[in-house]
Amino acid sequence: MNGPLFNPPRDGGMDGADAQTMAAVRSMQMLMESCPGKTAVSGVMGFALGGAFGLFMASMQYDTPLSTNPNAQAITSLPLRQQLKQGFRDLGSRSYSSAKNFGKVGAIFAGTECCIEGFRAKNDLKNGVLAGCITGGVLAAPAGPQAAALGCAGFAAFSLAIDSYMRRPSETD
Amino acid sequence: MFGGFGRPQPSSAEKIAAAEAEMDLVTDMFNKLQQACMKKCIPREYREGELNKGEGVCIDRCAAKFFDVQMKVSELLQQEAQAKGAGGGMGFGGM
Repeated sequence: MNGPLFNPPRDGGMDGADAQTMAAVRSMQMLMESCPGKTAVSGVMGFALGGAFGLFMASMQYDTPLSTNPNAQAITSLPLRQQLKQGFRDLGSRSYSSAKNFGKVGAIFAGTECCIEGFRAKNDLKNGVLAGCITGGVLAAPAGPQAAALGCAGFAAFSLAIDSYMRRPSETD
Repeated sequence: MFGGFGRPQPSSAEKIAAAEAEMDLVTDMFNKLQQACMKKCIPREYREGELNKGEGVCIDRCAAKFFDVQMKVSELLQQEAQAKGAGGGMGFGGM
C-alpha cells in the first residue's frame, strides 16, 4: 500500500476546491509556518495585546485626584476640552509605548525560537528556554551586562514555566 | 544493465520483469526511508497530527542523509566489485 507514488488523502472532504485553490491554501499555510511569518504574526499580536494592556494600565492612573499631581496647576487652568485632549494624548502615548515593547518581545521571542528549532531539528522545551534567554538578554542589554543576565534568566524561567504548563500531559490520558 | 558484448534486444517480457524489479526496489527503498526517518524524528508522544517545524527539518535532513549514504555505499560496492570481479558490468546498477 505504501509506495513512492502513494498520495494519502489529506484535508478530508475538500474535494470541492480545485488544484489552484489548494495550492494557494498550502502556500499560505507554509508562509504562516515559516520563521519570518511566525515572527510577523507574533509581533502584530504582541503589539495589539500590549496596546490593550497599556491602555488598561494607563487608565488606572487617573484614580488619584488631580490636586495631588505637581503639574495640576498647568492642567486645570485649561478649559475642559483641552484637559480631556491632554488626558487622551497621555493615554495614547503610554499605550503605544507598551504596545511597542510587547510587540518587540513577541517578535524576538517567536523569531529566535523558530530559528533555534530549525537549527536543532527538535521540538522540546529547550527551544523556549534558549529563546527566552536571548529575548530577555537583548531587551535588557542597554542597561548593562548584569541586567542582561538577569533578564535572560528571568525570561527563560518564565518561558519554561509557560511551556511546561502548555505541554503538561493531558488529563484524559 | 547487461554489460558486455553483443547483448540481444530485451524482449517485452524481460522489460516488464525489469520494470517490476525496479518498482520493487524503489518501493522497498521508500519504505525503509520512511521507517528510518519516522523512528528518528517523530517522538513517541505527540499532541497533534501536523508536523511541526523541528520534525519537518529533521525529516528533510534524514532523507537527504539516507540518499547520500545510499549513493556512497553503492559507489563503494562498485569499486569493490571492480577490484574483485572480472571486467565491468557486475553493476548492481546505480540505485
